Amino acid sequence: MRTITIKLPQYHGVPVEAERISPDVLSGLSIKEISEIEVWQGNRRLRLSDIFLISGDPDPDRPENTRIVLEGDLSKVKRIGESMSAGVVEIIGDAGMHAGNSMRGGTLEIKGDAGDWLGREMRGGRIIVEGNAGNYAGAGYRGERCGMRGGEIIIKGNAGAFLGEHLCGGTIEVMGDAGDFPGCANQGGTIRIHGHAHLPGAEMVKGSITAGSARVLPSFAYEDIVELGGLTYKKYVGDLVENGKGELYVASGQIGK
Amino acid sequence: MRLQIEDVLCTFCGCLCDDIRVEVDGGRIEKVRGACRLGSSKIMGHSRIKSPMIRVNGELREASYEEAYRKAAEILVSAKHPLLYGWASTTCEALKKGILLAEEIGGVVDTTATVCHGPSIIGIEEKGLVGSTLGQIKNRADLIVFWGCNPSEAHPRHTLRYSSNASGRFIPEGRKDRKVLVIDVRETRTARNADRFLRIQPGTDYEMISALRMIIGGKAESLPEDVAGVSRKELVEIAEMMRSAKFGAIFFGLGLTHSRGRYKNVDNALSLVSELNSHTKFVIMAMRGHYNVTGAGQVLAWSSGYPMAVDYARGAPYYNPGETSCCDLLSRRDVDAAMIIASDPASNLPRGCVEALAEMPVIQIDPFENPTTFFADVVIPSAIAGIEAEGTAYRMDGLSLRLRKLVDTEYPSDVEILQAILDNVRRLRDDN
Amino acid sequence: MIIKGGIVYDPANGIFGEEMDICIENGRIAEDAGGEVIDARGLLVMPGGVDAHSHIAGPKLNTGRIMRPDDSRMGTEPRTGVCRPSTGYTVPNCYAIGYRYARLGYTTAFEAATPIIEARHTHEELEEIPIVDKGALTLFGSNWTVMECVRENDMEKLAAYVAWGLRAARGYGVKIVNPGGGEAWGFGSNVKSIHDPVPHFDVTPAQIIRALAEVNERLRLPHSIHLHFNNLGRPGNYTTAIETLELLKDIKPSRMRQVVHVAHMQFSAYGGTGWKDFESKASVIADYFNQTDHATMDLGQIIFGPATTMTADAPLEYANARIGHQKWSNHDIELEESSGVVPWVYMRKMPVNAVQWAIGLELALLTKDPWKVVMTTDHPNGGPFVNYPEIIALLMSREKREEEMKTLHEVVRSRSTLPSIEREIDWSEIVIMTRAAPARILGLEDKGHLGIGADADISIYNIRPDEIDPSKDHAKVKAGMSRAKYTIKGGAVVVRDGEIVAAPQGRTYWVDAAVPERDMDRMLSSLKEKFERYYSIRMSNYMVQDAYLSNPFVVRAGVQPLKEVI
Repeated sequence: MRTITIKLPQYHGVPVEAERISPDVLSGLSIKEISEIEVWQGNRRLRLSDIFLISGDPDPDRPENTRIVLEGDLSKVKRIGESMSAGVVEIIGDAGMHAGNSMRGGTLEIKGDAGDWLGREMRGGRIIVEGNAGNYAGAGYRGERCGMRGGEIIIKGNAGAFLGEHLCGGTIEVMGDAGDFPGCANQGGTIRIHGHAHLPGAEMVKGSITAGSARVLPSFAYEDIVELGGLTYKKYVGDLVENGKGELYVASGQIGK
Repeated sequence: MRLQIEDVLCTFCGCLCDDIRVEVDGGRIEKVRGACRLGSSKIMGHSRIKSPMIRVNGELREASYEEAYRKAAEILVSAKHPLLYGWASTTCEALKKGILLAEEIGGVVDTTATVCHGPSIIGIEEKGLVGSTLGQIKNRADLIVFWGCNPSEAHPRHTLRYSSNASGRFIPEGRKDRKVLVIDVRETRTARNADRFLRIQPGTDYEMISALRMIIGGKAESLPEDVAGVSRKELVEIAEMMRSAKFGAIFFGLGLTHSRGRYKNVDNALSLVSELNSHTKFVIMAMRGHYNVTGAGQVLAWSSGYPMAVDYARGAPYYNPGETSCCDLLSRRDVDAAMIIASDPASNLPRGCVEALAEMPVIQIDPFENPTTFFADVVIPSAIAGIEAEGTAYRMDGLSLRLRKLVDTEYPSDVEILQAILDNVRRLRDDN
Repeated sequence: MIIKGGIVYDPANGIFGEEMDICIENGRIAEDAGGEVIDARGLLVMPGGVDAHSHIAGPKLNTGRIMRPDDSRMGTEPRTGVCRPSTGYTVPNCYAIGYRYARLGYTTAFEAATPIIEARHTHEELEEIPIVDKGALTLFGSNWTVMECVRENDMEKLAAYVAWGLRAARGYGVKIVNPGGGEAWGFGSNVKSIHDPVPHFDVTPAQIIRALAEVNERLRLPHSIHLHFNNLGRPGNYTTAIETLELLKDIKPSRMRQVVHVAHMQFSAYGGTGWKDFESKASVIADYFNQTDHATMDLGQIIFGPATTMTADAPLEYANARIGHQKWSNHDIELEESSGVVPWVYMRKMPVNAVQWAIGLELALLTKDPWKVVMTTDHPNGGPFVNYPEIIALLMSREKREEEMKTLHEVVRSRSTLPSIEREIDWSEIVIMTRAAPARILGLEDKGHLGIGADADISIYNIRPDEIDPSKDHAKVKAGMSRAKYTIKGGAVVVRDGEIVAAPQGRTYWVDAAVPERDMDRMLSSLKEKFERYYSIRMSNYMVQDAYLSNPFVVRAGVQPLKEVI
C-alpha cells in the first residue's frame, strides 16, 4: 500500500479548503505533482506545498491501495477526503469541517474531533471518529431533501445537533450523547445513540433511531417494550405529524420529559 | 423656510411605515409626526461622526475621506478572508455596491439577519413560506397570532397599521372583528391586550407546534394529556381557534427563532400553517427587525442565489449558514478583517464575536458613533439613508418602497463611499 | 460591422436560408456599413432570440432562490473579467439569466407576470440582468379595481385603470392569470369555471377576460391580452381553454396581431377526468388554432429533470405542493393577486409527465402556422430556458423524438398522438417560433427580423445549414444551438465562441398609454379611496419611480384620439 504523508507544520486561522486531499486524486500522482495541487486559504489560491509538508512512497498506485496520513492541527482544514471512493485517509488529530463530504467508499479515520458536516451527503464507505463530532454529521446541504444515503459513521465521543438530518440511508452510531434533533426528517437510515438524545426523529417517516435516553416528541406513539441486543427499550412510532412509520427505541425517558 | 414633507418612510423597524410627516427647516429636520417613539427618535437623529478617522498608534485621528478610503482598501486587499457585515439599515443600492466589492476582494457578505431571523430563513429552505403582504392581513385576517414576539414594544405601529387593530375591507370594525392570540414564555404587553394568551415553558415551542399539528391533522387522541406543561385540552382549544378562523395570520419573533430548537421551530411552524390551509386560510410572517433587513436578503438572493452569509472567497458564491455566517466566522476566527456598515456588532453580537472583531482590522461606515467605533481602525461617516440619501428598502412582507432624500448633506452616501473604496481597491490591484 | 457570407434566415422579410451579408450601423441593420468584418461563411445566421414568456425577475424569482439553496448551488460559475458570478439551474441569479440567454443567441426576454404593487422589485431584478432587452407584463386578472369596473360595466374607467397600472408598474402588457382565482384564494378558495362568480365581487372570469380584452384593444396596446387560463394544470381542462378562446372570437384587434396570446398552452391541453385517465388533447387544441385566427400560444414545453413552478395561480401551487409533497411558498398580494412557488421534478417514467412532454411537442407540430406558436418552457415552470436547444432538436427530428419516447413511460404512445406525427420543423419555422413570431406577438416592431432599421440583434451558430440534416444530425443541432458562435446585441458582439465577451446593459420596454383626462380623473378619485382604506402603503409611494429603469424604451399607445395625460 502506498502511504502519502501530509503534515501541517503550523496552525492557520483562516481556514484552508483542501477537497483534493483524497486517494482518488492523489494516488496516481507523483510527490511533486501532489505538492502542486490546488488548495485555497480564504481568497488565496495556493499549492499544497505552500502550507503542507508532503512525503511518502513515490510511486503512483490505485486509490484502493493508497493511504493518506495527515498530521498537525487540521481543525481548520476543510473538506478532507471529499468524494473519496476508495483507500484510507487517516487524520492524526482534529479535522475541520466537511471531512468526508459526499464520500462514496474507503475509510476515513479521525483520531481527534471532527468539525461540522462530517460525512455530509455521504453515499458509501466508513468514517470513524475517535473524539467528538460537530453539528450536522451525516446531514445534507441546505434545502436538500436527502443527507447521507449510505455508508457508516462511527463517533466514539458525542455528536452535535442535527445528527443525520434528512438521513436517507446508511448507519450512524454515537457512543456518547447527541445534540438536539438527531435523525430529523429521517427517511430510511439507522441511528444508534448510546447516550442521551433531545427530541430524536422529528418528522421522520422511515428508518430507526435508538437512544440510551431521550426526551420524546408528543407526536410519537408509544407501542410496546421490546428487547434489542439484550436490553429493553420502549418502542415508539412516528413522527405522526408526517404520518411517519419510523421506529424510535428509547432505553429510558419519555414523552415531554 | 419651513417645509412639510408627506408620506415619508420611517427607517427604524421592518414595518417601514410610509405615512410619516416631517417638517424641515433650514436643511434640518424640525419635527416628525405620525411616527412611533422609536421611529421618531431615529429620524430626528443623534450623535454624528463628524469626520473620517484612522487609528494610529491605538488612537483614532481625523483624516480626509481620501485617506480613509485608501486605508480601507489596503485592509480589504491584504485580507485573506474579509467579512462585510451589516447592511440592514442602509439601502439596497448600497448592498449592490457591497456585493460587487466582495466579489472583487473575495470576501464574505452577511447581514444582521444572522442574529435575528437567520434561523427563519433556514426554516424556509426546508418548507417554503406561506405568506402574504401586510395589506392582505389588514383586509382579511380575523385571527392574529403573535408567537414569541411583542409588537407593542418592538414594532409599535404594527397592530394599528397592519394587524390586530387595523380595519380593512372584510374586517370593517378592526379589533372587534378579530381575535388575537399570543403564545409566549412571558406575559408581555402584547399578551395583555390579547383575547387569549398561551404561556409555554422556554424551549418547548417545537413540541407545542408538533402537538398543534397533531390536533389539526385529526390525531389529538394520540397526544399525551400534558404536553410540556400545557394540557391537551388547552391545545385543542387553541387549535380550534386556528381552524375556525376564516383567515389566520401568525407573526413570529425572536422568541421562536432564538429559543432552543431555533430553525426547527420555524420549520415546524411553517408546516403547521401549510397544513392549516387544508382547512382554512392561513399565512405566517417573520417580524423583521431593521427596516431593510428584508431588502438585504432580497438583493443578496438575486445577486448570488442566497439570502445571507455568502462567501465569495473562491470567486463563486458559497453559502452555508453555520459556516459562512458572521457569528460563526468570528467566533471561530475564520476571518481576518471586517467592514461594518450601518450596524453595531459591538452591541449586538455575542461576546466572543466582539472580542474577535476587536483583534482584527475593522472598517466602520456609519452616520452615527456607536460602541463599534471604539475598536474600529478606519471610521467613515456617511449620509443617513432615507433622510439624506435616497434608495430602496423592503418591508417585512417583501414590498419594496423608495426612501427619499429629505435634507441636503455634506456627507457622502453609503453608495458613494463603497464606490470610492472599490476604486481604491482596483487602483491598489493595478499598482501591484 | 459587416457579417459576411452567412446563410441567413429572416422569414419576416421572406428570406429563407440565403447566403447574404448583413450590415450594421449604430446598433441597427443598415444598407451598408464599414468597420469590423465577421466571417460567417456557410454558418446559420438569424435574428436574436426573443422569449415572449419567461419568469426572470420579481418577488417569485427570489422566493424560489431563497427556498432553494439546493438549486442555487447547481450551475455555479465564478466571476471572470467580464462576468459576475453565476449560480442556479432552475432559479439562476440575475447575472446567469442574462449570460445564459446570450449564449443561446437570445437577445430579448419578457417577464410574464408582475403585480403592480411589487413591480419595483421586478425592475430591480431586471436592472441586474445583463445584455438582453427586457420588459414585464402586468397582472390585472384578480385586481379589485378591475373587477369593480367590470361589474359596473365601465370600460372607460377600466381603460384608465389599465393605462395607469401599466404606468405605475412600468409594465408592457396585460397579463391575466386564473382570473378571479387570485381573489378567491384570499379566503382559500378558487373559481372552478369561467362562469363561476368571484366571491364578494359578483363578476365571472369570463366577464373579466372579455372586458380586459376589449380595453386592451381600446388602448391599442402593442401586445394583446396574455392569458393563463382558469383550471390550468388540471385534467380535462382543454374544454376551459376552448370555451375561453370562444369568448374572444369576435373582438377586433386594434393592431396587426392576435386578440389573445395563450400562455404555456401545454398546461391547458389536458383530457381525462383525473390523473389516472389523463391524456393529451393537443390535437383538439391545435385544430382550434388551425381553424381560427384570433389566438396565438406559447408552448410551455416540459423538460425532464428539476424545475421550479412559480405562478400567480396560487391555488394551483397549493395543489402542486400537496401532490408532490413539496416545499410550498405562497404569497398573497393585497387587492391585486396571489401567487405560489413549488419545486418540481419531471420524471420520464411518470405517466403524467411523459404525456405532458408529448403535448408540448404535439402543439408545435400539429399547429400548421408557425406564426401562431412560440417556443417556451414557461421557464422555470416546465424547466429552465437553457434547454431550448433540446426542444429545437426534438421539433426538427422525428428520429430524436422516437429515441426519447423509448426512454419514457409507455403511455406516451397511447395517450398522445406524438408517435404518429411525421412533421419535422425546418430552420425557417424554428426562426419563426423563436424570433419572428414572439416579436410580432409582443408587438416589438424592431425585433425578430433583419430588415433595414431593425435592431442589430443577431445570432450566428456553428451550424452549416447546407451540410447538416437536422433530422439525422440532431445532436449537432442541439450542440450548435447551445453555444452561439456569435451573439450580437444592438450591434455589439456579446458572445464569441460560446463565451461572454461583453455585458452591456439592455433596454427595458414599457407602454405608456394615453386615455382621456376625464376618465383618468374619475378613476383616480375612486382609486384614492382604495389607498386610504385598503392598501397598506400610500398612493404617493406606489408607482415605480424613473430611477428603476436606467435604460427605458417607452412604447406609446392609447385611446384615440391620442391625448397625453400628465
